[in-house]
Amino acid sequence: MATKKKRTPNAHTSSRVVIAADSAIDTQKHDSDPAFVRLRNPATDATSLYMLSGGDLQLFEVKAFEEDFHSWFIGQTVQRDGRLLFVTPMDPLYLILPYLIKSGKEGKFQPVDQVVMDDEFPACSRLLSCTRSLASLHHITEEKEVGTQRFHRYSQERTMNWLKKKVERTVSVLKARNISVGERVKSTTYITMKSESDYRDEDYLRYAHGLVSEYLSQHLSKDLLTHLQLPELKSPKETEPPSKKRKLTDKPVEAEEDYTKFNSAEFARKPPKKMTAAQKSLAKGDKTGMKTMSSFFSPKVKAEKK
Amino acid sequence: MSRNTSVTRVDVSSVAQAQRVPVHLMPCEIEHEGPAHVSEYLTATTKDCKLEKTVSFRGRGLKGQELSCPQGYTGLVLKDINEPSSDQEDRLLRVSSVFDKLTYWNLETPPNSDDAVVMAMDWPELAQAIHGPVED
Amino acid sequence: MDLSPFETDNSLSCRLTSEIPDVCRTEDCCLGIDEAGRGPVLGPMVYGICFCPVSKKQELKESKVADSKTLTEAERENLFQKLDEARSYVGWALQILSPNTISTSMLQRTKYNLNALSHDTAIGLVQYALDSGVQLKEVFVDTVGPAEKYEEKLSKLFPGIDVTVRPKADSLFPVVSAASICAKVARDRIVKGWAFTEDLGEVDTDYGSGYPNDPKTKAWLLKYLDPVFGYPQFVRFSWSTARTLMDSKGVTVHWEDDDEDGEKSAQRQNNKSMLAYFSAGGNEQKPAQQTHRFFSERRLKSLAAL
Repeated sequence: MATKKKRTPNAHTSSRVVIAADSAIDTQKHDSDPAFVRLRNPATDATSLYMLSGGDLQLFEVKAFEEDFHSWFIGQTVQRDGRLLFVTPMDPLYLILPYLIKSGKEGKFQPVDQVVMDDEFPACSRLLSCTRSLASLHHITEEKEVGTQRFHRYSQERTMNWLKKKVERTVSVLKARNISVGERVKSTTYITMKSESDYRDEDYLRYAHGLVSEYLSQHLSKDLLTHLQLPELKSPKETEPPSKKRKLTDKPVEAEEDYTKFNSAEFARKPPKKMTAAQKSLAKGDKTGMKTMSSFFSPKVKAEKK
Repeated sequence: MSRNTSVTRVDVSSVAQAQRVPVHLMPCEIEHEGPAHVSEYLTATTKDCKLEKTVSFRGRGLKGQELSCPQGYTGLVLKDINEPSSDQEDRLLRVSSVFDKLTYWNLETPPNSDDAVVMAMDWPELAQAIHGPVED
Repeated sequence: MDLSPFETDNSLSCRLTSEIPDVCRTEDCCLGIDEAGRGPVLGPMVYGICFCPVSKKQELKESKVADSKTLTEAERENLFQKLDEARSYVGWALQILSPNTISTSMLQRTKYNLNALSHDTAIGLVQYALDSGVQLKEVFVDTVGPAEKYEEKLSKLFPGIDVTVRPKADSLFPVVSAASICAKVARDRIVKGWAFTEDLGEVDTDYGSGYPNDPKTKAWLLKYLDPVFGYPQFVRFSWSTARTLMDSKGVTVHWEDDDEDGEKSAQRQNNKSMLAYFSAGGNEQKPAQQTHRFFSERRLKSLAAL
C-alpha cells in the first residue's frame, strides 16, 4: 500500500458555502449591499462574525457547520474547505445589551448612541440602525423623552421578563420540533432510558435557558436561571452515581463468514461500524447534557439546594 | 486600528446571474481547489435506491441523501471578487452559484436523522425562536 | 453465457449460473473451483465452479479441458463451447466480483482482504451447488495461499465432502480446469465489453492484459488518471499500482480512518471535537464558556472571521 500523506494546512479558500435567510440577500428592498462585520460576542466578549443587511436594517448571526475531513463539490469544482455557514436573523438587542448594562451601572438615563460605542468594534454603533433596535429597546430599558431626545437606562426587571419570553418561545419550538433535550439515547441497540414524551417541562426550560444563554454573559445567564426559578445544578461528577453509568461497549457482532451476502446484489453491504448515538454523546463528554442526566438519576439535588 | 474595521461586502445583485448548481458534501478532505469532473464521474455513477444514494469515490463506498435548505433559506456560494491581499483590506464577495438542496455523503454509513448535518438544519427554526421579536 | 445480469450494473457483484443437470441431483458429483483475474489491476475477479457426476470424469478429461492459462483465448472459447454442449451432465456457476466491489471491500473501514473475499466467494459457490441439490462428494480447489489450512477450513464447513486443495489444481484435475475455463471466458468477455458508467466519451480499450507490469496497462492507467477522481470503477483502487499513481499524480485525499481502524478514528474524532467545541467562537483564552450541546451536537460554532 502506498504511504499516506500528511495533511497540509488549508491556507487558501476561494469560496464559502452558505445557507442564508432570504431576507439577507433581498435585492429588492435595499440599495446598498449586506456586509459581514465583526462585533463583540455578548457571551464570550471575543470577536464574532455577524452580518448586517443593506442599510444596516437587519442583523444576522453567522454560524459554521464544520466536521473534520470534509470537502465540497460545487458544480464542476472542488472546494477543500467543507464548512457550511448558516446566516440566520438575529435579535440586535443581545449585542446591545452588554453596553447598556455597563452604562446602567452609573444609574443615569443616557442617549443610546452614546452608550453603544466600542473602540475595538466600531461597527457596533450600526446596530442602532437596525429597524428592530430602537423599536424594542423598551424590553431592556426604561425610557425617558425630553423634547425630541430619548434617554434610556438599563432595567434588569424588564430584561428578565423579556428573556423569559424568549426562553418560553424557545421551549415551544423545541417541543414542536421534537428536539431531544435529554441525553441522546435514540438507538435500537439500547434500552431507551427516557423517551421524548417523558421529558419534564424543567428539562425543556433548562435546555432553552442554555440556548438563550449563548447570547448572554455568564452573570446574566445566572440571573435568568434564578428568574426562571430553576435551581443551579451541581457538577455531574458529584451527583451522578457511578454505578448507573451506561456501558460503553457495543461492538456489533459480525459473523465471520456470512455467505448469504454473496447471493444478491447487496453483496457490497456490510453492517456499518458506527458508534451509536448514545456512545457518541457519552464520548463527547458534553457536560451540559450530563447535568440533565444527573438530575434524572438523582432528583434530590433540587431538595438539597433549598 | 484593529482588523475589526475591515468590511466584507456581498454584492447581492450577482444573485441574478448566479447559476443553480448541484453541491455535494464529501466525507473526506480533498486537498484541492479548482475544476473537477464531477458530473462525469460522481453524478454519472451515483445510484438512487429507495432510502439512500450510493456511489464510490477513490474506491471507497459512500452512502448519502439529499437535504433541502430550510424554508425561507437559500444556498449560496460566495466568492471573493478580488483576492484579498491582507486581513485589513476590505473585501467584496459575489454570489457565484445558488442551490436549494445539497447531497451529503457518509463513508459507508447509511444516512440517517442523527447525522450532524441533518440536525444542523434545525438551527434556522430555533434561531427564529431565540431571535424573533417578542410581543409586549 | 449470458452476461447481461452483471452488465446491467457492473459496479456490483453478481452470480451467473448454468442449468443444473438432472443427473447431478441424483448421482455423486465432483466439483472444481478456480478463479480468474486475481492479479490484474483492471476489471472483475471471477470465481467459477464446475461440476459433473463422478462417473463422467473420464468424459470430461477426454474433452481435453486444461488449465485456462495454457490456452489461447480462442481455445478457451472453444472449450467453453464444448462444456456447454455437455450441459446434460456438466453444470457451472460463476461469482463475478466487480472491480468496484473489490476496491470498496478491500478499502473498507473494517478491511476485508482479498484472501477472505476469495474464500468467502468460493464457499458461497459450493453452498449454492449444495442448495441446488447437487450431490457433492468431492471438491477440488485451486489455491494460491497455503493449501492445508484452507483445506481444513473447507472440510469443516462441508462435512461429508472430500475436499482437496492444491496449488496448480487447475492442471491436475479436469473439473478444476473446466471451472477455470468458465471463469476466464467470463472475465475476458467482461473486460472486452466493459461499458464505462462514467461519462468519459470514447475510451481507449487497449488495456493490455490488465496486469500491473504490462506496459500497455501502465500506459492506459497513466492516460486515464483523473487528478480528483482517480479512475473509473473499472480500475481496482486498492491495487498499489493505482494507488501509487494517484498519490504521485493526483490530488491528495484524506479520510477520517486513514492509517487507523474505525474504532480508533471515531474516538479521535470525538476527542478532537470536544476540544474544538469547548474553545469555539475564536475564544481560546476563555475556556470557561462552553458551547451549548445543541450546537456541539450539530457541529455548529461561531466564527471570528470569514
